[in-house]
Formats: sequence, structure tokens, C-alpha cells
Amino acid sequence: MRAVYWAVLGLGLVPTVAGGQAPPAKPVTVPFELLRSKHMVVRVKLNGKGPYRLLFDTGAPLNVIGVQAARESGLLTKTARPPAFFLAAPKPVAIPLVELGELKAEKVPAMIMDHPAVAALSQAFGPIDGILGFPFFARYRMTLDYQASEMTFVPNGYEPPDVLEALMAALLAPEPKGPRVVAAAGLWGFTVEKPDGDTQPGVVVKEVYAGGAAAAGGLKPGDRLLTLGGHWTDSVADCHYAASALPPGQAHPVIVRRQQQEIRLSLTPRPGL
Amino acid sequence: MRPLVLTLVSLWSLATPTWAQAPPQADTYQVPYRLTETKHVLVRVKINGHGPFHFLIDTGAPALFVATAVGKKVGVAPDTRGWATFKRFEIEGGVVIENARGRLDDPFQLEGMNKLGLAGVELHGVIGYNLLARYKLEFDFTRPTMTWTRLQYEPPEPTGLGRASAGLEGIALLVRMLSGLLARDTKVEIKPRGLLGMELEETAEGVWVRAVLANGPADRAGLKSGDRLVAVRGRAVARVGDVHRRLASVGPDEDVSLTLVRQGKAMTLTVTTGRGL
Repeated sequence: MRAVYWAVLGLGLVPTVAGGQAPPAKPVTVPFELLRSKHMVVRVKLNGKGPYRLLFDTGAPLNVIGVQAARESGLLTKTARPPAFFLAAPKPVAIPLVELGELKAEKVPAMIMDHPAVAALSQAFGPIDGILGFPFFARYRMTLDYQASEMTFVPNGYEPPDVLEALMAALLAPEPKGPRVVAAAGLWGFTVEKPDGDTQPGVVVKEVYAGGAAAAGGLKPGDRLLTLGGHWTDSVADCHYAASALPPGQAHPVIVRRQQQEIRLSLTPRPGL
Repeated sequence: MRPLVLTLVSLWSLATPTWAQAPPQADTYQVPYRLTETKHVLVRVKINGHGPFHFLIDTGAPALFVATAVGKKVGVAPDTRGWATFKRFEIEGGVVIENARGRLDDPFQLEGMNKLGLAGVELHGVIGYNLLARYKLEFDFTRPTMTWTRLQYEPPEPTGLGRASAGLEGIALLVRMLSGLLARDTKVEIKPRGLLGMELEETAEGVWVRAVLANGPADRAGLKSGDRLVAVRGRAVARVGDVHRRLASVGPDEDVSLTLVRQGKAMTLTVTTGRGL
């Protein structure tokens, strides 16, 4: 459970980078249709059947396929009754093959159901058969370009976790007790403080250890630290949170205000703690 | 529980704006994000200098939604139709949108997630189409940041959002009821890990102290450059990662024992952790 929280809060992402270097592949470009409601719709084949029009939604934690499309594409047998939406929530099925333009994805999890929001959009904009969300697009480095009305996909080696399972675990987990410790990933060699009543952006650099990484990069006591590696540092906790996401041995941009001037530094934290 | 989870598949009501052109720009930003338990992409936002607030990136939302409580906090009141203009809308990583139009509203999806504490932090709104469409967006969950590139498009002012369907209103009611029943407090206080002040190096022989910060906690406890670290808090360490793991829950002002080998001799020292990073 602890690991889930950890991963969810983004700290789990750093190790993934090291482990998951997928070979570079040519991006697949897929056009999308923008409904007047500003929803994106893509044309998708399910098990070779279709194409079906599916909503493409980065805010959807699940893929959803409507009952009729599920029957046609063999995800639901012709006679099987679809699960009632709210009373007996269905278990996800794995769609053997999803094709989006030249993109082919196997074993894509989806819920079979007629979602009322999909039904409402279908009425207004013609038949829509479901939603493609996180469990699909998370497998790729994906770009969305509203200007060109297209998206691109490159497999990134990421294996999307089972959303329902993670949520169940989260809901059943005991409420957290005590503070959570946030650990910098490297050793920077400085301390910060935020005096009571100080509501301005940033924190004040208090001490810079001689010979440390921060001193080497030009950080000075009294600097107002505004961002660390692109992260806001408006509290001491924020500052540590930012450092937790910044691997040692790499240069990170740091912005400080010193005597009314914003200065951009480059600091390279070292392995250690 | 499952039904509730399913309703978090977000879909919003309808809007009908049209396109317009904007001056060309080619700025690229690295936007830090977190992935919530619900697998939503969460970014931090400042509005008119206040914040940071937590917003979801949702292409299923037609516009920017800002919680009514946040509107009060940043001193922005809605017009008669619930819309407002936010003078400076800033997203962590350097994205700045001036005069952002958004709706001051408390969508049931956010209320539900907040009551259940599913995001790990309080959610304050959703960034939807009318702001997102100005950027080319790159999502890659193997990387710690999203990439946002300014496009030449200026999406149209959002107008009305139409009416929610009866089905959605039913879901809204259900979410409000269920999340009320299951409400839990998951807000967590953040405590920084304590500072030891030692640079480490890893070789096939193990973990070495490469340097200590002058007058830092490790230095004061007597650690020296060249010491080989063999155990932390009584457990053997072979890699730098082991040391991090053994100390992952240690806050400032705590005593930790480090066992090391110096010139062939083993010794155990106690370091009192400090504050800093």
C-alpha cells in the first residue's frame, strides 16, 4: 500500500525512467475529430471490427466500450446480458486487439457498459461507442495537437497499473497516521527557511555548505529560492518535494532572486544524503 | 465501491465555441505532474499569485473549472452565468496564461474525489479544452514532466456549457451520496528527510563516503572521506540505494547509527540528522 502511495505521488516515476528505456520508434500519427462540445473522437477498430468512434479522454481512468460494439467485436457474447451500470459493476475485459490508425495495441483492458455521458454525446453528435482513456494512452509517449487535429504515439514501455485494483486498495487502506517523510534524491548542500508570516513566493536560503553542490553552482545564503528544477519552492516541504524528483549527477535549472534580480543557476546535486 | 469508481470516468457537459487566431510563439515548458490514485494527471497552479492549487489535466472537460472556494481566495467573483476571468493563471513549469476564462464551479467529480481523498491532496479544479488547446501537449508517464509547446492557436472564448443530461445528473447525485458515506481524511503532512551531509559513491566493493559537508551532521559525528559504509541502522548496505531506503523515513533531529570500515577497522558512529538537503 505504501508503495502505491509512493508511486502515485510521482516519486515512483524516477526509477521507471532508468528501467524503461524503450528503443526509439517512429511516432504513429492519428487524426482526431473535435466535437462541438470540444471532446476528441478517434476511429478505432476492435478485434478487426469497426471502425468505432470513441471519445479520447485524458481525464478518464478507464477504457469503456458500449454494449453493442462489444457484442459486434466479440467482447461480449451475443446472448450475455450486459452488467447493469451501477448495481453490479462489471469486471474489465481485455480487448485482444485495438487498432488506431497504424497503431496496434494488444490486451487493452476495458469496461463493457453504456455510459450515460457517452449516450448524451451520441445523441448530439452521432454514434459514439465508448471512451479511450488512461489504460490505453499511458502505454505511449503521446502528443496532442489541437491545432493540427492530430495525436502521435510512440510506445514508451510503461505498463499502466490496474486502476480499479489500485483504487480499491486506496479506499480500503487505513487513513494515514503521522507525517510522510519526503526525501531528496541527491545531496545539494544547503538549507532553507520560511519565516512565519512570509507569504511571498519562494523560500530563503539560510546556509550553503562550503564545497557542496549548491556552493559549486553559485547559490548564496540570503538568496530567495523560487524554483528548483522547474518546481515551485514556496515552502520548505515543497523544496524537499522538488528535490525528491531531481536525480543526482544531472544539472537542474534553479531560479533565485538576489538583490531584486532573478538569476538562473545550474546546480548538479551529488549522490548522497 | 466499484460503481463510485466508475463514475469518476469523467465526461463533462457541452460547450460550443469557435476558433480564432493568435500571434505565433514557440515556447516549450516542462510541466511537473503527479499521477493520482485515480490515474488523473495533476499539476500545480497559481492564480493571481495565490496558491499553489491542484488541478487535473482533462481533455474531457470543455473549459477551465475553478472551485468556488478558490475563487473567493483569489478574489475573483463569477458573472451572472458562473464565468470569471483570471488575470494571471500560472502552471508550474513556467506556463502563464493571461486573462484565462473559466467557470467557478464545484463539479461533482472533484467533490467526490476530494471527499474520498483519492488524489492524496485537495483538488481545486480542472484544466480543460479552452486552455489546453493553446498548447501541444506531451504525456509520457516514464518521465517526471509533461512537455507543453505553445501553438499559434487561440481557442475561442468558452460560451455556455449547455445542460447536463438526466443520466449525468443521476450520477452526480449518486457520487455525492456515496462519497459522503465513504468520506475519509487522507491529508498527509509532509516532513522533510533529515540531512546527513555525506556524498556517497558506489563501487563493486560497496558504498564509500566520498566527502562530508564541513560541519554538517556526518562531519560532526566523525565520518570521513574514504570510510566504507557497511550498515545503516543495523542493516547491511551494499548500494547507495540501500542507504536511501534505510533512511527513507528518518526526519530531522533523529539519531541514526552508521557502521563503517576505516583502515580495516569496523566502527559504529551515531549521526544526529539535521535540516536541509
